[in-house]
Amino acid sequence: MQPRRQPPPAPRPRGNCPGAPLLALLLLLVLRGAAAAPAGPQDPRRPQDAGLSRGLLQQAARAALHFLNFRAGSPSALRALAAVQEGRASVNPKEGCKVDLVFSTERYNSEEGEEHLGNCSARVFFKTQKPRPAINVTCTRLLGKRKRQQEDYLLYKQMKQLKTPVDVVSIPDSHGHIDPSLKPIWDLAFLGSSYVMWEKTTQFLHYYLAQLTSVKQWKTDDDEIDFDYTVLLHEFSTQEIIPCRIHLVWYPGKPLKVKYHCQELQTPEEASGTEEG
Amino acid sequence: MRWILFFGALIGTSICGREKFFGDQVFRINARNGDEISKLSQLVNSDNFKLNVWQSPSTFGRPVDVLVPSVSLQLVKSFLASQGLNYSVTIEDLQIYREMDSIAADFPDLASRVRIGHSFENRPLYVLKFSTREGERRPAIWLNAGIHSREWISQATAIWTARKIVSDYQKYPAITSILERMDIFLLPVANPDGYVYSQTKNRFWRKTRSLNPGSPCIGTDANRNWNASFAGKGASDNPCSEVYHGPHPNSEVEVKSVVDFIQKHGNFKCFIDLHSYSQLLLYPYGYTVKKAPDADELDVVAKRAAKALASLSGTEYQVGPTATTIYPASGSSPDWAYDNGIKYAFTFELRDTGHYGFLLPASQIIPTAEETWLGLRTIMEHVRDHLY
Repeated sequence: MQPRRQPPPAPRPRGNCPGAPLLALLLLLVLRGAAAAPAGPQDPRRPQDAGLSRGLLQQAARAALHFLNFRAGSPSALRALAAVQEGRASVNPKEGCKVDLVFSTERYNSEEGEEHLGNCSARVFFKTQKPRPAINVTCTRLLGKRKRQQEDYLLYKQMKQLKTPVDVVSIPDSHGHIDPSLKPIWDLAFLGSSYVMWEKTTQFLHYYLAQLTSVKQWKTDDDEIDFDYTVLLHEFSTQEIIPCRIHLVWYPGKPLKVKYHCQELQTPEEASGTEEG
Repeated sequence: MRWILFFGALIGTSICGREKFFGDQVFRINARNGDEISKLSQLVNSDNFKLNVWQSPSTFGRPVDVLVPSVSLQLVKSFLASQGLNYSVTIEDLQIYREMDSIAADFPDLASRVRIGHSFENRPLYVLKFSTREGERRPAIWLNAGIHSREWISQATAIWTARKIVSDYQKYPAITSILERMDIFLLPVANPDGYVYSQTKNRFWRKTRSLNPGSPCIGTDANRNWNASFAGKGASDNPCSEVYHGPHPNSEVEVKSVVDFIQKHGNFKCFIDLHSYSQLLLYPYGYTVKKAPDADELDVVAKRAAKALASLSGTEYQVGPTATTIYPASGSSPDWAYDNGIKYAFTFELRDTGHYGFLLPASQIIPTAEETWLGLRTIMEHVRDHLY
């Protein structure tokens, strides 16, 4: 796998959107609520505020992408974040933080030299009450619908032909290696994990999929792929590694069904969820 | 013989195209009778395992030391277990230390391996000192790596950089002129206990391996343990947390050894800490969002370094103060260095941005090290030209 082309540094939110000083004030209010914000007066023009708001936009982009990937339910159409273009946030201390933003994406499995960028606009609502962010997102197509269906079906056939990989341990291995024959499993695991990461992303915490650690079940005798597995999620900024058990059912073109249960090591509550896309 | 062919076939495929992985171990195997000696001899003589014998099997009663490459570890262990052969693991992960020794031996006028202390589990803390002038306490640069053990690209980049420094000296003007004015100290494995643990037990281990009295959880985040707003934001007082700051500043012997060395030396001008992942080049502060007095200059240098780094393969780094560019973190090494008069204090978060994360493929080690070198060199050049 080639190292991915990296996004340019995210630009600051547009200065000429109406009420820019008000925006800065609202952002400050958001961050005052966060553990990270120091007490005391802040000059809206100081660089660190731009940094803090850039961080919030990136959080929103990540959440939107996880949701987008889950909703698309397509392991061949997975997207990764390219760059945040612009955005603004408003906060209601009781309800939460709403972010409107525009960002660009690229294919998660981009080939060498491939430079397809999709554009997305999203509204992300980090709610104070209910845990998961509410998301509205639309994107330009990266892959034609026909091509996507073909690739999904190809992956599906590859999966059906795999011998039950229940003895599979650690994908990728410690040195980042994924056996090419097992790549479809990784893509499907990532798709299911997207649902989990969507639900868990807040304005302060975000996640990456670190590793697929075991396959409990891989059933392909019915039409659908029935996949029961565990992954490790890497949580920023706590740096915790969180094991999650995920059970998904997938068939090309059909909505993805996911159930999961994560071990919350630090806090007493455990997080789990279930959803049909 | 069938068993040897079976195991051999399995290992053979994994060894082909083997790259330089760390994590080789030395197995001390005890053969108790003639039959075991003969099995052992066959194992050792078989080409497929690529085992390196340090002490040959001759008579029983004398243990045999065998160097097992990391890729063969599991299979050799299974084999020994299946044959009922007794063994223990003697030296763990000697590859980086051997390479450091080899560099010092190959370039004795430039490089020397210095022991600055030991880890909690009593492993040596080795630093490579690069100096073109004996006896002087010249202005110096400290390169720190591997403080978070799971960030393997950090230790790998550091040891590659060590080779690069000695190879390029007197061949290329930049590093030559840097070394004519300053010394460089490189600590490739700042947390050796954690590193060994990440290779043998838990790939995602981050902290040290020190015991926490009264808690079942082990280890302190060595990069929250420095005396810079210790126990402030971005650290935890829970020993089970990955960012546990420890009972008090410098409680970790790995941290204290570096602090003592740097303070005793007294003439460090630059401190660079290598981590992964996120592709960021950061400068103080992590413990506050207040702007550091030298932030403007550090920002210029960091941007220049990021540009140099990107010039090789297009890898893009974001630049900024730690607290706002990544997250607040108190008790970190560059903040301590900065508050102790070491102006040019930076953190590199190396590749990638989350696709592989800590599990960066080995094929990306050299490209990462090569591009990072351009960034490091840019910073060192600036320090050379702005000594204070």
